[in-house]
Amino acid sequence: MQIRNGRDFWAGLMFTGFGLGFMLVSLNYPMGSAARMGPAYFPAVLGGLLALLGGGIVLRGYISKFEHPLKVFAFRLPLLIAALVVGGATYFASASLKGAPMVGFALTGLALTLFIGAFGPRSMFLVLVAVMVFGYALKPLGLVLATVLLIVISAFGGHDFRKKEVAILTIALVLFGVLVFVKALGLPFNLWPGG
Amino acid sequence: MEFDLIHNLGIGFGVALSWQNLMYCFFGVLLGTLIGVLPGIGPLATIAMLLPVTFTLPPISALIMLAGIYYGAQYGGSTTAILVNIPGESSSVITCIDGYQMARQGRAGPALAIAALGSFFAGSVATLIIALFAPPLAEVALKFGPAEYFSLMVLGLVGATVLAHGSLVKAIAMTLLGLLLGLIGTDVNSGVARFTFGLAELSDGVGFIIIAMGLFGFAEIILNLERGEGREVFVKKIMNIMPTWKDIKDSSGAVVRGTAIGSVLGILPGGGALLSSFAAYTLEKKIGDTSNFGKGEIRGVAAPESANNAGAQTSFIPMLTLGIPSNVVMALMIGAMMIQGIAPGPQVMTEKPDLFWGLIVSMWIGNLMLGILNLPLIGIWVKLLTVPYRLLYPSILLFCCVGVYSLSNQPFDVMLAALFGILGYVFIKLECEPAPLILGFILGPLMEENLRRAMLLSRGDATVFFTKPISGVLLGMAIVLLLVTLAPAVRKTREVAFQE
Repeated sequence: MQIRNGRDFWAGLMFTGFGLGFMLVSLNYPMGSAARMGPAYFPAVLGGLLALLGGGIVLRGYISKFEHPLKVFAFRLPLLIAALVVGGATYFASASLKGAPMVGFALTGLALTLFIGAFGPRSMFLVLVAVMVFGYALKPLGLVLATVLLIVISAFGGHDFRKKEVAILTIALVLFGVLVFVKALGLPFNLWPGG
Repeated sequence: MEFDLIHNLGIGFGVALSWQNLMYCFFGVLLGTLIGVLPGIGPLATIAMLLPVTFTLPPISALIMLAGIYYGAQYGGSTTAILVNIPGESSSVITCIDGYQMARQGRAGPALAIAALGSFFAGSVATLIIALFAPPLAEVALKFGPAEYFSLMVLGLVGATVLAHGSLVKAIAMTLLGLLLGLIGTDVNSGVARFTFGLAELSDGVGFIIIAMGLFGFAEIILNLERGEGREVFVKKIMNIMPTWKDIKDSSGAVVRGTAIGSVLGILPGGGALLSSFAAYTLEKKIGDTSNFGKGEIRGVAAPESANNAGAQTSFIPMLTLGIPSNVVMALMIGAMMIQGIAPGPQVMTEKPDLFWGLIVSMWIGNLMLGILNLPLIGIWVKLLTVPYRLLYPSILLFCCVGVYSLSNQPFDVMLAALFGILGYVFIKLECEPAPLILGFILGPLMEENLRRAMLLSRGDATVFFTKPISGVLLGMAIVLLLVTLAPAVRKTREVAFQE
C-alpha cells in the first residue's frame, strides 16, 4: 500500500515514538495502584494512549483524503545519526569528563549543532545556532560580544544580508541591551569577558 | 449584590488608578498595540519574553501589564489588516477582507475609527460582564473537589482540541504530549525525578516559558524566514479619520452583535479572540443587506473587531475564577501568577480582592487609553510597518534569548528552547497545532494531582467521576462535545470553517 499523506504518516510516527518513550521510561518508577497512584501510573497510561493514537494517525496516512508527499521538510539522516552518537557518548562519558569540563561543553555543543542541522532549512540552522551560541557565550564572553554573535549569525539566516544594515542594527541592539537589560532592569550579565 | 459590585469596583479603581499601575497599564497597551501592528510577532511571544522581567514587579502590576499586551494587540492587529491587507494579529485575519477594501476606496480613516470605537465598546461591555459573572462562578468553583476539578480540566482540554485547527486526532495527540511534557521533573507526591535523565537542570521540570518561546517564538521566526519576505507596504495618506453619521448608524448593530458573540465565545475553552472574530463575521454576512460584503462593507470591520476584543477579555473569566486557561495566552497568564507565588483558582477573588478587581478595572482603563491613543498614533504605526523583517527578527531573537537565559542564568535553558524551536517547526510542517500542547503542559501536573486525590478519596473507584453530579455533568459535556465534533455533518462544516 502507498502512503497518501506524508504529514499524517510522520506525525503518527512521532506521536508513537513519544508515547512509547514516555511509557517505557515511566516503567522505571513505582506503578502503585488505582487508589494510590505511584509516579509511573499517570504517564504510563497517557503514553500508552498517545502511542495508540499515533498508530491510528500512521494508518490514516494510508487512507487519507488529502494527499501530501512523503517528504514534508528537509531531513538529513547522517547528521542525525552523528548527533546521536556524539550526544550519547558525551552523556555516558559525563562522569569521566568531570575533570575536563571544557571537553564536555564542546562535545555537547557539537552534538546540538549536528542535531539542529539534521532538520529543516538553512534559516533554521542559522537562527538556532545563533541562539545556542548566545546561550553558551553570554557568561564567558559577556553581553556585548554575545549579542554581536547572535545578531550577525542570525542575520545570515535571512534572504539578503546587507553588511551596513547589520552593522548598524548590531550597534543599536548592543546599546539597547546594555542600557535596558543591564542598567535599567538590572539583569546580572557581565558586559565583557571576565568581568 | 449591586452594592457589592460597586464596592468591589471601588476597590478595583483604588488599585488600578495608582500611578504605578496606570503606568504599567499604559506600557502594556502601548506595547500590545505595537506588536499587534507588526506582523510576525504576537502577544504570545511578547508575554513570554516579558515574563522574566515581571519577576521583579508586584503581582498586580505584572498582571495588569501582561493583560494590556493581550487586548492591546487586538487593537493593533486591525490597523495592519486595514492598511496593508496583512493581519497584524491572527484574530484580524477576517478584518482584512472588508477593511482593506475600504482603505482602497480612500476610507481607511473611518474603517480604523470604527474598529477602535467598536473595540472600545466591546471592551467596556466585556469588562462589565467579567465583573458581574466572575464572582458567582468563583463561588460555585469553591465547592469543587478533586473529582470536579479533574472533570473540568478534561472538558477544558476537549474544548481546546475541538476548536483547534486541522485534524481532531492530531489535536488530541498534541494534548496528550503536552500533558506528558508537563510531568517532567520531580513528582511532588513521591519525590521521584521523572524523565529527567539524571539532569539536575530538569528536576524542576521544563520551564513553561522555554516551551512557549521555542514553539511560538523561534518556530515562528524560522517559518517567516523560510517563506521569504513578501510584505509589501503601501500606505496612502489618511485624509479624514472621523466616520460619518451614516457609518456609525450602519455599524452600531454589528458592533453590538459582535460584542455579544465575542463575549460568549471568549469564555469557552479554546475560544478567545480568533474564533470570535470569525463567528461574528459569518453572522454579519447572513443578516440584512449583504451585497456589499467583500467590497468594503463597514459592518465587516465593525463586527469582527468588536468580537475579537470582547473575546480577548472574557477569556479571562475561566482563568480568574477556575484557574483554568481557555487559550494559550491565558496559560501564560497563569504561568505569570504562579511565578509570583499566587495559586490560580477561585480563592484568588476572596483572598486577593485587590488583585482581582484591580485587574478587571485596569482592563477598562486600558481600553479607554487605547481608544484615545490609537487614533492619533496611527501615523507612527504606519511608519513602523515599513521596518523590514530582516531588521525585526534579530531584535526579537535577542529579546527571546535574554528572556530565556535570565530564567536561571544558565545556558541549559537556551539550549532547551532551541530544541523546542525545532520541535515547533516540525509540528507546523506536520500540521499539528501547538496550542493544545501548551494547554496540556500547564494542566498536566494539576490533572495528575486531582486524579490522584479523587481516586484516593474513592478508594480506587473510577466511577466517582460519573456519579458525582457536577463532575458527571462536566464529563458528559466533554463526551458530547467530542461526539458532536466527530459526527460527519459537523466534521465537514468544521473542515470548511478552518479552510476559509
